[in-house]
Amino acid sequence: MIKTALTELIPIEYPIFQGGMAWIADGKLAAAVSNGGGLGIIAAMNADADYLRQQIAVARSLTDKPFGVNIMLMSPNADAVAQVVADEKVAVITTGAGNPAKYMDLWQQAGACVIPVVASVAMAKMLGRSGAAALIAEGGESGGHVGDTTTMALVPQVCDATTLPVIAAGGIADGRGVAAALMLGACGVQLGTRFLLAEECSIHTNYKEKVLKATDISTIITGKRLGHPVRSLKSPFSNAVFKLEYSQISDAELEEMARDTLRLAAVEGDMQKGCFLAGQVAGMVKKSQPARQIIQEIFDEAELILKGVNRWIK
Amino acid sequence: MVFEKIAALIADHVGCDIADIKAESTFEALGIDSLDTAEMVIELEEELGIEIQLKEKMETVGQLAKYIESQKG
Repeated sequence: MIKTALTELIPIEYPIFQGGMAWIADGKLAAAVSNGGGLGIIAAMNADADYLRQQIAVARSLTDKPFGVNIMLMSPNADAVAQVVADEKVAVITTGAGNPAKYMDLWQQAGACVIPVVASVAMAKMLGRSGAAALIAEGGESGGHVGDTTTMALVPQVCDATTLPVIAAGGIADGRGVAAALMLGACGVQLGTRFLLAEECSIHTNYKEKVLKATDISTIITGKRLGHPVRSLKSPFSNAVFKLEYSQISDAELEEMARDTLRLAAVEGDMQKGCFLAGQVAGMVKKSQPARQIIQEIFDEAELILKGVNRWIK
Repeated sequence: MVFEKIAALIADHVGCDIADIKAESTFEALGIDSLDTAEMVIELEEELGIEIQLKEKMETVGQLAKYIESQKG
């Protein structure tokens, strides 16, 4: 068994979170991950309060284990969904794309464990002191919204800058990644891409096929010009955006191109217009499995590796 | 003055002329993203010896300066 500060902080069997991926991480996937011994997370994304309440109800109907909700702070519905997670007494709240300071009092009064995602040391310092219970240090290998600094470089620097437990995210898909993250000072991991192939993940078959076919160089970053870079699998959509980004096209037109593309990928499986978010580890994801099996496999491997590290010390 | 301190930090970060930084300059136009802003706020805290709690997104340099002035009390 691998027990860390994270399994002490939150009553989970394995120190692993499933990332809050928009249009992907719903109540069903979150419940499957929580039932498998990790922490499942529902993505509130840009959706409204009703959608989130519904997904929380779905998760609660499938598991009695704790799960989390990811609040995307740039969402136009951020205030409303921030209230929902407090009302529903969600155990863990992770946040992305900003500073959750203005919701901190509300969430702490509701007894939630607030864990912001950070992509830099300064963000870690700033968010770490505002009442966060832990931090997720997410490197640029991740899918979705990314910073520049890689997990390998970011995690130890964030660990040096905070006394809070640090969860490593980005570039991790198996037990080797988990073992490495622990070596870098993290006490847990967050994975997204590997869970795309969880049997309980409801995304379109085309999306799953695309991940299965991916190699180490299948992803691309677009959206840098607009200030919110996103990593996705290369596709007609992402290639077009990548080219146009450096043309005379206006910001408004670029924004318009990206509208609805996450839904088109996850729900419709639209190979032309969809934006298929995935991390650089997509090339390591080779099969579809139940969430529970994914988690067990990862931690069996991590444990084996960690038990063997002494062999290098002579 | 807080504004001058921020302007100096920005000029240092992005390598532009300090005279080009006005109160109404947006961080976006200066090529400063949210991660850069967080880093500058931490640096400012060390320089001013105060803790700055950012609760709203700051669009312009002037807005940030005004906010920090108010936090200094």
